Amino acid sequence: MRVPGRRALGYLLAGLALAGFSYALERFGLQPISLLEAGLLAMTPLALAAVGECLNEKAGVVNIGLEGILLITAVTGVWFAELFGNGTMGLIGGALTGALIGFALGAISVYGKADQIIAGMGLNIFALGFVPFLLVSLWAFPGIHLFPSELMVPRLITPWGQFSPVTIAAILIAVLAHLLLHHTVLGFRIKAVGEKPEAVDVAGVRVDWLRLFTSTLGGALCGVGGAFLPLGWFGGVVKEISAGRGFIALACVVFAGLEPLLALAAAFLFGFVDGLASAVAVTPGVKERIPFYFVSMLPYATTLVVVALVIGRRRFPRTVGRPYVRE
Amino acid sequence: MKRLPLPRPLIESLVTISIGLVAGALLMLLFDYNPVQAYRALFVGAFGSLEDILETLAFATPLMLTALTFAVGVRGGLFNIGAEGQMYLGAIGATFVAGLLPLPPGLHLAAATAAGMLFGALWAVPPALLKAWRGVHEVISTIMCNWIAFYLATYLAINFLAEPGRAERTAPALVTARYPVLTEDASLTAAIFVALAFCLVVYLYLWGTRAGYELRLAGENPDAARYAGVKGGKVILLSFAIGGLAAGLAGATQIIGRPPAWSLYATLGNVITLGFDGIGVALVGRNHPIGGVLAAVLFGALAHGGRFMEYHAGVLSELVRAINGLIVITLAVPELWMLARRRFSR
Amino acid sequence: MSPQPRVEMRGIHKVYPDGTVALRGVDFRLQQGEIVGLLGENGAGKTTLMKILSGLLRPTRGEIMVDGSLAHFRNPSDALRVGIGMVHQAFNLVPPYTALQNIVLGQEGAGPLASFRTDEPRRRVAALLTETGLEIPLDDPVESMPIGVQQRVEILKTLYRGTSVLILDEPTSALAPVEVHDLSQFLKRLRAGGKSVVFITHKLKEVLELSDRVVVLRNGQVTGEIATVQATPEGLAEMMVGRKVVARVSRAARPPGAPVLVVRDLRAANDQGAPAVKGLSFEVRAGEVFGIAGVEGNGQSELVQALTGLRPPTGGEITLDGTRLLNLNPLELYRRGLGHIPEDKARFGLALNFDLAENSILSRQGERTFLGALGRLNWGRILAYARDLVERFKVLAPNVRTVVRSLSGGNQQRLLVGRELSKQPVVIVAVHPTRGLDIASTVYIRELLMQMRDDGKAVLLISADLDEVVELSDRIAVMYEGVLIGAAKTEEFTREEIGLMMGGITPKGSAYETPASAPAAD
Repeated sequence: MRVPGRRALGYLLAGLALAGFSYALERFGLQPISLLEAGLLAMTPLALAAVGECLNEKAGVVNIGLEGILLITAVTGVWFAELFGNGTMGLIGGALTGALIGFALGAISVYGKADQIIAGMGLNIFALGFVPFLLVSLWAFPGIHLFPSELMVPRLITPWGQFSPVTIAAILIAVLAHLLLHHTVLGFRIKAVGEKPEAVDVAGVRVDWLRLFTSTLGGALCGVGGAFLPLGWFGGVVKEISAGRGFIALACVVFAGLEPLLALAAAFLFGFVDGLASAVAVTPGVKERIPFYFVSMLPYATTLVVVALVIGRRRFPRTVGRPYVRE
Repeated sequence: MKRLPLPRPLIESLVTISIGLVAGALLMLLFDYNPVQAYRALFVGAFGSLEDILETLAFATPLMLTALTFAVGVRGGLFNIGAEGQMYLGAIGATFVAGLLPLPPGLHLAAATAAGMLFGALWAVPPALLKAWRGVHEVISTIMCNWIAFYLATYLAINFLAEPGRAERTAPALVTARYPVLTEDASLTAAIFVALAFCLVVYLYLWGTRAGYELRLAGENPDAARYAGVKGGKVILLSFAIGGLAAGLAGATQIIGRPPAWSLYATLGNVITLGFDGIGVALVGRNHPIGGVLAAVLFGALAHGGRFMEYHAGVLSELVRAINGLIVITLAVPELWMLARRRFSR
Repeated sequence: MSPQPRVEMRGIHKVYPDGTVALRGVDFRLQQGEIVGLLGENGAGKTTLMKILSGLLRPTRGEIMVDGSLAHFRNPSDALRVGIGMVHQAFNLVPPYTALQNIVLGQEGAGPLASFRTDEPRRRVAALLTETGLEIPLDDPVESMPIGVQQRVEILKTLYRGTSVLILDEPTSALAPVEVHDLSQFLKRLRAGGKSVVFITHKLKEVLELSDRVVVLRNGQVTGEIATVQATPEGLAEMMVGRKVVARVSRAARPPGAPVLVVRDLRAANDQGAPAVKGLSFEVRAGEVFGIAGVEGNGQSELVQALTGLRPPTGGEITLDGTRLLNLNPLELYRRGLGHIPEDKARFGLALNFDLAENSILSRQGERTFLGALGRLNWGRILAYARDLVERFKVLAPNVRTVVRSLSGGNQQRLLVGRELSKQPVVIVAVHPTRGLDIASTVYIRELLMQMRDDGKAVLLISADLDEVVELSDRIAVMYEGVLIGAAKTEEFTREEIGLMMGGITPKGSAYETPASAPAAD
């Protein structure tokens, strides 16, 4: 189950990359603190989506519709926040919508024996059209919606910088997911169902309920991440707000080999690059030298390179993506 | 030659399309729109007059090609969703040759088309190699390539290809590099014939050559392919390359085959999401090049008619894309619709 | 009147959704403290019957009584609740989990969010281990354990749930002789503890050694029930094998030619990496059918895949017409004259969503006959060829552009056999060539194989159907646990003797006792 050599190489590369970046940034006059702030903000939605998907895939269900969930919950999160006049309620609203979508997709996979890749892609395409429609239907303005800044989830101001409580929650959730997976009865069963659903079935535990549970939970966590995008980070919602983060989260999951804590680390790596990109794009003296477009490519290019160089093939639960049919 | 898709798949496709439309109607009701009014506007808008039908075909032109990208992937056992990025690059290639390289008439058009296809195919190479060498799943690699392509194309469009004095778009294709407009009343050009011809060529390739046979065999039954001595890596490269050519051509048709712009908007606004739309088109067209052409006409009608839906019923035309997604989800559920679908291994 | 049975099944019928009739009115009883051997060939219905008893399948008709009262099992937990548990042939173990974890799964004894602790279960399992005399390394992952130990984990898992009726499906199929001995000791200890055991097997020797009573199934019906002390191997073999009414194919005597396919000390591993083919040597001569009988799962699949280039052998050599063949891909082997009728035609032989014409050139797609300029397929020739195949091999299909999936199994097989035979092979490897086919197709395909033989081709027939092997083969060997036993002319065996060998008993003192699989001289 373990590939310490590969994994260690991955950490080494990531560490070197980070060190190199930091050095280069300081030379360019970027503040490490503001970089850390940006990186942690960018990490948060990735981590939430990736950690949920780790649990989901451990149970043997793949959701490549994370991107679609992020998009939709970004909008519904804002809608809930405006309804209750409170950003935190928006996060809860995002979680609820995400859970609903996760449940629906889980039910399609478990009972409909759907091709999970196609169904997930269908969700992404649906979101691509549904979100602009939703923006106009809810706020009668195409493509973008800004909301009063009071609705933003307030940041924690510390001597080390400003952080979102959601970031801290995401880190906690990753730790909790790790504990759930490796130290509770439920996690014990989740891991078993991904490896050998027959064994779980014969042991008298419901395969369908376990898988529905993880896909719903995964959807909910992803929904918090989606609502966080406008409410904890950007301050507004645009129709392509997720910008491929759902797929980067999938890359985190692959990178992490389905381990929540590793997924958190991967989310930090990709988030840092994302934060770096945002920071570079606005820092005077740097933005003139590096074209915005190349900076914007960074998160995607990093993902591609990391996935290709460090990961290759990983061991996944034996039944990932395959519906369970008795007999 | 292989017969056209049988009536049964056709019926199944129509059933799923109906489900998608009904679900779309429910969405409209949910948000207080009038679905009857909206759909009437949509279908009258799409097929109400000869010009509208031609306009529908203009919308169908790139879709049949991006659908082909996905379909060739599936036929070879891959989930290639990289048409989007490959199409951006194809548009860039065509813009470059058509707008900035003065060439003799005839040759110019051919060169611009070829450049688009070539750029698209080149952009398909990295995910293909990553898949063949490293086993990187094509869903992740193609999406990342799409986003990189988005910024690369925007960068190139603004910094190297922009029309002097007009930052919002690239230098328009020179007249020598434009496909002839078929009628003044619609934006349909002869590019559709190139698209149709390409679909036909790929169809003939897949069903009429040894390499195409081997590609389909590898996608259909990898074990039997091994038994028949087919090499997996070659099939991956080939499938991606053909898909890239198709997507590149799709991008090119939007530049050198679509009035009035004849150029690429700096926002990529006149090509964006055409690649993703192709996935639904391909699935409805049963991953068959000819089925894809028929499905593309349908989705072209939705795209063109969607604008009338927006105008007459106030329903945003992008709802059409949501319907597309719902159709794809419906198609993914074999237990409900008993559709013969292929499994994709991770 | 015997005491009330622990379990009684009455008039059990089972028809699978695809129409296969697996059981036709089976009655089955099991007393407390009794070990029953359920004997039968592949497909006799043994496993289906026991899956019904353990709640995994529901009978189409018939009833189950447990301790005298009617029971309805909707799923395995219902059966477990009344103490019936089954150990399946394919183990239901979570591979990366330890033995203890596998035993405890589903019986953790705590709420879902409670911390998963194993100290209490460990005590209970340890007590169970002492009680049963089993030995298991509790903290090793089961994927690293030999099959025999995994089986103990499975059994313990079942007992941990309070099972008093233990059903074992082919418990010895993967065990070494020593392990079989341990198992038998263990079962006797269970019996002494008042538990009842049913074990499914095709091995006569084990039934005779382990059971108190034998129930024989054939073709979904009970063909014999006898106290083990009264049973003889010959009698059981007769009950198990029976005689099937299939029109016979005539086999004219014919002097065999020179050896064409020569296999020496061939070794191959199964998917788990364990040795499955353990040093086989045999030869197939021109103009003869060499039949390998045997119950499935004795290494036949691995043997065939090693022969046909689908699985790299781990040792030994194969020569075809004097040329060494090891480590060639299937296409290259075919070019050198090896035809293959695979056991899993949907996997290796046909592309079910392709049409007849496309399937007819599978693996011949690179031949000049079927190609035009620029690598184009010459559809005119392909269609003509496909039509010719359809006609010559009597494939019933609307036309050659029909998707193969829509054909009946018999017609799919005719197409496949036709394609392989028309490649003009020197040697043909046919695996279960008539399994699941209708009678007409069965007879026809057997005739085709005989025709190949009469044309001077070498035919290697591997089949679990004893009648087929006896009927077609000039020489016979039985494959048992990765080796061949008793290769000789067909006429030298009686059916009962072959039945005995399939059950792992080599007839003593006979001229053909020397195993054909003895390693070749160095």
